[in-house]
Amino acid sequence: MAKETFYGPLEQIEECCWRIPKSYKEGMRVDGLIFADERLMAQLRKDQAPEQVANVAFLPGIQRASLAMPDIHWGYGFCIGGVCATDPDEGGVICPGGIGYDINCGVRLCHSNLYYQDVKPRLRQLVEELFRHVPTGTGKSGHYSFKGKEMTHLLAEGSRYLLQRGLATQGDIDFTEAHGRLDGADPDCVSERARQRGEEQCGTLGSGNHFLEVQIVDHIFDEQAAAVMGLEKDMVCVMIHSGSRGLGYQVCDDALHSLRKAPEKYGIALPDRQLACAPVHSPEGEHYIAAMRAAANFAWCNRQLLMQQAREVFEKVFGRKWQELKMNLVYDVCHNIAKFEQHVVDGKQKRVWVHRKGATRAYPPGHPEIPSLYSKIGQPVMIPGDMGRASWVLVGQPGSMEKSFGTTCHGAGRAMSRTQAVREAGSRRIDKELEARGVIARAQSRKGLAEEQPDAYKNVDEVVEVVDRAGLSKKVARMRPIGVIKG
Amino acid sequence: MHEVFEHTADLGLRIRAADLPTLFAEAAAALFAAIVEDLNTVRPEQRMEVELPADEREYLLFDWLNELLYRYETQHLLCNRFEVKLDEAGLHGIAWGEPLDRDRHALSHEVKAITYHALKIEPTADGWLAEIIVDI
Repeated sequence: MAKETFYGPLEQIEECCWRIPKSYKEGMRVDGLIFADERLMAQLRKDQAPEQVANVAFLPGIQRASLAMPDIHWGYGFCIGGVCATDPDEGGVICPGGIGYDINCGVRLCHSNLYYQDVKPRLRQLVEELFRHVPTGTGKSGHYSFKGKEMTHLLAEGSRYLLQRGLATQGDIDFTEAHGRLDGADPDCVSERARQRGEEQCGTLGSGNHFLEVQIVDHIFDEQAAAVMGLEKDMVCVMIHSGSRGLGYQVCDDALHSLRKAPEKYGIALPDRQLACAPVHSPEGEHYIAAMRAAANFAWCNRQLLMQQAREVFEKVFGRKWQELKMNLVYDVCHNIAKFEQHVVDGKQKRVWVHRKGATRAYPPGHPEIPSLYSKIGQPVMIPGDMGRASWVLVGQPGSMEKSFGTTCHGAGRAMSRTQAVREAGSRRIDKELEARGVIARAQSRKGLAEEQPDAYKNVDEVVEVVDRAGLSKKVARMRPIGVIKG
Repeated sequence: MHEVFEHTADLGLRIRAADLPTLFAEAAAALFAAIVEDLNTVRPEQRMEVELPADEREYLLFDWLNELLYRYETQHLLCNRFEVKLDEAGLHGIAWGEPLDRDRHALSHEVKAITYHALKIEPTADGWLAEIIVDI
């Protein structure tokens, strides 16, 4: 399939919001809405992501609109950066493609009481130790293994299981979205294949765009919110981006396989077979939901164990316990997930299935589901950027529930395809270039580093600017990477 | 023969062959060429068999690649030589390879999954063409 420009209608209805009217294609049940400014929109038109926003509007039971965040790019079925809510009482569907292969891929941030000047002299050693200790890349088994009953507990209980095993603290649980556990997870719905793929992968980073970074707080935009989160200028933090590894990919794969015939069976007309879905209230839908929740629990355990290993490395390098180094979790968010949430639609309270495929929940201040510490400032959101420029910490904004089902962006979004990035890199040494910018990067694969080079991504600052202006979430702090490990 | 084609976040594999069994074998080589930097570093020392029930052509290709990916991930077996037979019962495949050895095999991508997106097999003037996008 060639990369084609989108020539369909895009009407600017607000400074940072564009509409694809439902009249664009027969079968669309609602409009498509894309949050972007003019500059980003010019880039977004260059591929089929807007077409995918229109395709998602075909899904039965969809509420309000098929939404897309400013970091959207061409995915499979759903665009990456897509949000859609369905009402099960109106025939609403659950769509595995609206969650993605990497179920509960997400980001967590932990801070410390170290500052840039403390870490700078030992940065190389720190990065080398992290790279040695934290399993990265493909085909790698981790330091932990969860088989049989242990895996069953982990899938059912999520981070709480690790708390019982002494691998997490109460604080880690309190500051994880959904407390690191989705209710209704059924380990029996996770196939033997998925378990096998996951049993040695909990606590491994993976490859692609996943990373573990040592970052410093580069600039603070909201002093009050930053203070509540314990973030100060030049403070050293660790950001982790990973998901449910092979287990989650297999759960998605199993679901897509079992749904091959479901659209026909339930009379659902779809413009793309990757959008295969089933009604929430159907045997196929219920089975997938129970398995997806279990995979989400696995992903939280994975990020927890990755953080735990990072803490161990800091202990070794700085000769103090991680508790003394105050390496506490600020927050953990997921950006590939569907959750059954309470929202107001057309003036009515409803429970809807909010699919976030490369989009992050960003609840406003006062929402009952955010930790009491953050109740006044809104839910913290971590937005990973690229490994040369920046990542961001934001908070949810009042009004986001109405605008985007309490959702914001999830990253920078790619500007170049992987093949193009490798071509552009040629014989350049990306690691040396990063070093000249003050970033020590280690990766298993040189090609991987070329594919993930900073220029392969849009500037995350521009994406964040749009969600801030559109009122989806507010800037708190810009984070600058100084150490990166990747697969 | 096989090549990669552009996809924003992932990787597209384009495969051409004179007949369908060769197309399936070449597609498997394309998959492992995405996983390991140089397929020539893999020694075809171990043999494994794959049997799959008949399905639509595209789905069968999907299932074949998916099965190889699953075995790679759980048994860490890299493959570089493939033979495929297709008949009414389905697919009978043989793959040769060896266990992953990080000292000799430079890895390239972690393929998360084979996707259904834009999946196609079609006849061409001189044989067959397949396109498949893998999630990275």
